[in-house]
This record gives sequence, structure tokens and C-alpha cells, in this order.
Amino acid sequence: MLRMKNLSKVYRTHMIETHALRGFEIDVKQGEFVTVTGPSGSGKTSFLNIAGLLEEFTDGEYVLDGVNVKGMDDNARSRLRNEKLGFIFQGFNLIPDLSLFDNVDVPLRYRGFNAAERKERIEDALAKVGLASRMKHYPAELSGGQQQRVAIARALAGSPKLLLADEPTGNLDTQMARGVMELLEEINAAGTTILMVTHDPELAVRTQRNVHIIDGQVSDLVRKSPSLSTVGHAAQA
Amino acid sequence: MFQYYFLLGLRSLRRNPALTALMVLTLAIGVAASISTLTILHVMSGNPIPTKSDRLFVPQFDNGPIESYKVGDKPNDDQMSYRDAVNFLNSKAGERRTALFGISMPLEPERKDLGVFVVRGIATGGDYFNMFEAPFLHGQGWAPEADQRGGNVTVINRKLSEKLFGDADPVGRRVRMGGFDYQIVGVLDTWSVIPRYQHLIGAETAFGDEEDMYIPFATAINNQVGRNGSTGCQGNVEPGFQGFLDSECTWIQVWFETATPGDRAALQSYLDSYTAEQRKLGRLKRNTPNKLYNVMEWLEFQKVVDNDNKLAVWLSFGFLLLCLVNTIGLLLAKFSVRASEVGIRRALGASRREIFTQFLIETTVVGLVGGLLGLLLAVGALALISLQSKALATVAQMDWVMLLTTFVLAVLAAVLAGLLPTWRACQVTPALQLKSQ
Repeated sequence: MLRMKNLSKVYRTHMIETHALRGFEIDVKQGEFVTVTGPSGSGKTSFLNIAGLLEEFTDGEYVLDGVNVKGMDDNARSRLRNEKLGFIFQGFNLIPDLSLFDNVDVPLRYRGFNAAERKERIEDALAKVGLASRMKHYPAELSGGQQQRVAIARALAGSPKLLLADEPTGNLDTQMARGVMELLEEINAAGTTILMVTHDPELAVRTQRNVHIIDGQVSDLVRKSPSLSTVGHAAQA
Repeated sequence: MFQYYFLLGLRSLRRNPALTALMVLTLAIGVAASISTLTILHVMSGNPIPTKSDRLFVPQFDNGPIESYKVGDKPNDDQMSYRDAVNFLNSKAGERRTALFGISMPLEPERKDLGVFVVRGIATGGDYFNMFEAPFLHGQGWAPEADQRGGNVTVINRKLSEKLFGDADPVGRRVRMGGFDYQIVGVLDTWSVIPRYQHLIGAETAFGDEEDMYIPFATAINNQVGRNGSTGCQGNVEPGFQGFLDSECTWIQVWFETATPGDRAALQSYLDSYTAEQRKLGRLKRNTPNKLYNVMEWLEFQKVVDNDNKLAVWLSFGFLLLCLVNTIGLLLAKFSVRASEVGIRRALGASRREIFTQFLIETTVVGLVGGLLGLLLAVGALALISLQSKALATVAQMDWVMLLTTFVLAVLAAVLAGLLPTWRACQVTPALQLKSQ
């Protein structure tokens, strides 16, 4: 699904060069739920931005769902991002003056679906996160947990292959965080690959696989057998 | 996508009402200022007779005295002497030809309640009405015999007809002017020609009222009707009216109509041979080139649109530019707080081009609203300008060309103002933006 080989990312100013990633290697298989951990400044965010085609890398190779993204122009990258990826951010990043319906509509517009298909997908996605009845509401009328659910609905509406989540529970209280986490596990169980950056070690141990980044390199791949109890729990929720 | 962006643009107007209002108002005021001055210029410099403006010609040659003449001097006057006017009228040059000069006479109405009042008009040939496409309400122009013999006939305008006779058709009735009874042969319907190109010299303004009445050229000479216009005299003038007629004084305007625009060359060579002939007779001592002006050239030459009008347009466009700079600033402010939205949209699959389109359409919406308000303001400004004088009321009229121009100008201005802010919005790096949320 996602493979990076010997990838590097260098930020250059006229004074200094900063190596955010160097010799970075990762291979995420379809259907995996991978957490990415690491101290601040280790390169987690650079990795996620590059994986999400939001930033270009300096050197190396990155293949996303069989597509080599090196040298792609902005249009092609944007299209690929729209078709294959879904984003969930720590700050939810909903557009405040659009209703929930219109927020979920945004990526579908860029995909070019017709009105009927967009409507169906939006209603499905909002139903999946339990907010079908609040389609006409605005983000400010919702709690943080509900807003993050809308963001998840927006990420899911275009049926992405890979969901990229950056501290999705970072701004939520424990109970809401648990709800969001269970929702992500459910989505993963339904077949969507998830890559999640987190600081929370508790969340990291819940997933099948934990990638630890230090100084721009993958230092440790922790592979675990799938936690059946977690999956089972999510399925019941 | 256009519809989607357009709706987003409309919605964005509500996002920050104060900023939006300021932007729309700034744009509207700039557009209104330039459109109202441009409208006046547009009407003033319009073609008053598009069907034949390139077939109607004013001849010009110099009959001024040789004394104090230097080679390269401009012609002495734009008008003709009586002798030349009569020679032209009797010639076969062009399809039609007419001479005219301004007159004014006291009119003694039959209705005693009206009292005596002064009417202004022109003395001209019967071809005048056909040449300049005068609209008749009743009757017609006078017969050629009236031109030859100088019959006491007249054509009056609708306003005068209604004043004297109400709604009745007055053709055949008589009206006493300047001590003579004139038989009315025709009544002209309202004839709003802008500018009044036919009779520019000696008229107060090219945008004034219609003539009250018209009488045959020969009649005006026979009856020695009072002239109303400018007269230029140089050299000897014998005493008496006949002496004036025989002099080189210039006070008559002559028009030729040709069958096609291409006949201009033939008319020019007629003019050249006429002046050569007159030189042989000992007249026209100066050597200024003879000229022909068609209608638009004549308006330009007579400076119907003076430099002040043009300056006003330049100034108003300068003002619009100022408004644009302000709008750029306001748009920059408006879009800078939208950086996070750009980041989100980019992450969700919008290319830079799509963001560019979205924001440019959004500024277009601002432009349209600004244009609409600008139009209202311009109409209001023109109404105010119209109150100043009758001549201004004539030219302060908006037509559909200016209506369209207003919108094009407003949208163009908004898009122009939106380019920099839009380009800046597109430069948002989504990664940075999303992290800072």
C-alpha cells in the first residue's frame, strides 16, 4: 500500500540544512493499522506530510498503492491525494462556515462525482459516524468528539485506500478519544489501511504495528499479532 | 465546479459582512465615478447619424485677407461667405447640399394670452430635412420653389406647434414672425440628436434644445431676418445689407451629402477647382489647403468633446485605480484569514489551480455585487449631474452599452484586484497550515 525506500527530506535555509528524514524505509501492507510514535522533532510529521503528498521529499523512492509519486506535478499529486487518501487531523480542520453536509462534500467535489452520488456518499459517511441526523448543523454546534467524527466521515466519503491520522485524539477527553479510536478500528476492520501518528503509548499498543521514529529514521519496528479482543470490541461498538 | 465556486463566493460575502461591505462599497464608488464620467463622454462623442456620417461633409477653405497671413496659418474661419454659400447651393456637387445660419425672430401668436415671445431657428435649404433625416410629425419640408423664390413658409418643431395650436395639425395655418406671415408646411416630431452636429457654430452648446423653426434660406435673405450666430468680417464691408452680402464676411455653414463615402475624393476635387476658379477672379488670396470634414471629423475639429471632459474621465479612472489598490488590501486581509481553509482544501484534493479558480470566482462575485451597487450609484450621480443644466441632462443618459461596460469594468476591476491576493492564497503550504491548527 505504502512503500518508502531510502527516502530523505532536507529543509534548507541559506544558513543551515536540516535533515528531517534520512534513509527512511517503511512498507505498510494493505489493511494494516500502523501507529507512528517518536519524540518531538523526530520527523513524524515530515513523514506524514510526505506520505500524504502534502510535501515533496528530497531523495529516495515513494510508491503509494502502486504509483511512484516521484516527480509528479501539483495536479497529479492533488488528484492522487483526493482518490487514495483520507486525512484526519488533531484540530479536526472542518471549514467553519460550511454545514456538516457541505464539509463532507468538499473532497467529493474535487473528485467530480455527480450530485446524486455525492449525496449518497455524504449520507452514508455521516451515518457511519452516527451523525446522519445533524447534516444541516455547523461545526461550531458540535462537541469536539462529534467534530472529529465529521472529519472522519469526510475522510471516508471518498472511499480512500489509506487513512492518515495525525494525533486524531489529541484534542479530545478520554471518553471521546476512546469513541474515536473505536471508530477508527472499526474502519480498519472494514478494510481501510490506517497510518496514525500519536504520542499516546496506550493507543500505540492497541494497534497491530507500531513504527518508532528517532532522528528521521525508523529505529524500531514493533510487530504484534492482531489484538483480537480490540477488533472484536470495535465490531460490537 | 463553476457553480460550486460561485455559491461558495456568495456564501463568502456573508462570512465577514463589514469587510465585504467595505470592499463592495470601495469598488462601487470607483466604478460609479468612472462610469458616470465615461457615460457623459460616451454620449457626447457618440455618432449622431450613424447611417450617413461618412457621407455628410462640411467644406472649409480660407477667404481671409492676405495681410498678416503666414504660411501654415489655420483658416480664418470655419464658416462661409454668402457668395460662396450661394455658389455651392447652385452647384451640382454631391447628391444634396444645403446652407444654413442661425436666426431668431419675435413670434406674435394668434392666441393673445401667450404674448409675444422670441423663437430661434435656422434658415436653410429644403434638402436639409432629407439630408439630416428630420422626423416629420405633420406635413413635410418646403418645395424647391420656396428655396428659389424665397416663399414665406416654415417648418416648426412639435413643442412650438403644441404651444401655439395644441394637439391640432397646424399645416396650412399661418404664424407671424418678425413682421411676416409664414405658412406652416410641416411640423417636426421630437428630434433628439446628440450632439447637434448640423448647426455647431454659433450655437451655445452642441447639447442644447432643438431649433424652434426653419425657414428657407432665400426667404431669410429677402426678409433680412435677424441673424443669431457668429459672424467674422475682415477686409472692406460696403454699407447696407447688400454690402454685407457681397463682403467676405463669413457667417454661413454649408453641408454636402454624397451618394457614397467614396465620393469624397470627387467632392474634394470640386472644392479645389472651385477655389482655383475663385482665385482667378482675384479672391481667396491665401494658400491654405481646402478641407472636407465628415460628421465625426467635424465634431472632433469643433472640439465638441473638450479636453476637460477627457480629463474628467482620466481623473475618475485614477480614482478607480485608487479604489482598486484599496480593494487589493481588503482582499489580502480577507484571504489571509482563509489560509487554513486553503490548507484543508489542498489536503482534500484541490490543486493549486482549483484554489486559484475558487478565489478568483469569489472576487468576481464581489465585483458583480460592486458593479450592481456601482450602477445604482452611477445612475444616481447622473441624475444629480442632470439637475445642473439642460445640456448636461441631454448627455447624462445611460444606455445599454454603458450598462454592460459597468459590469465588465466592475468584474475586471475586481478580478484585477483579486489576482495578487488569490495568488498569495494559492501559495499556502497545506502541511504547515494544517499543523498550526
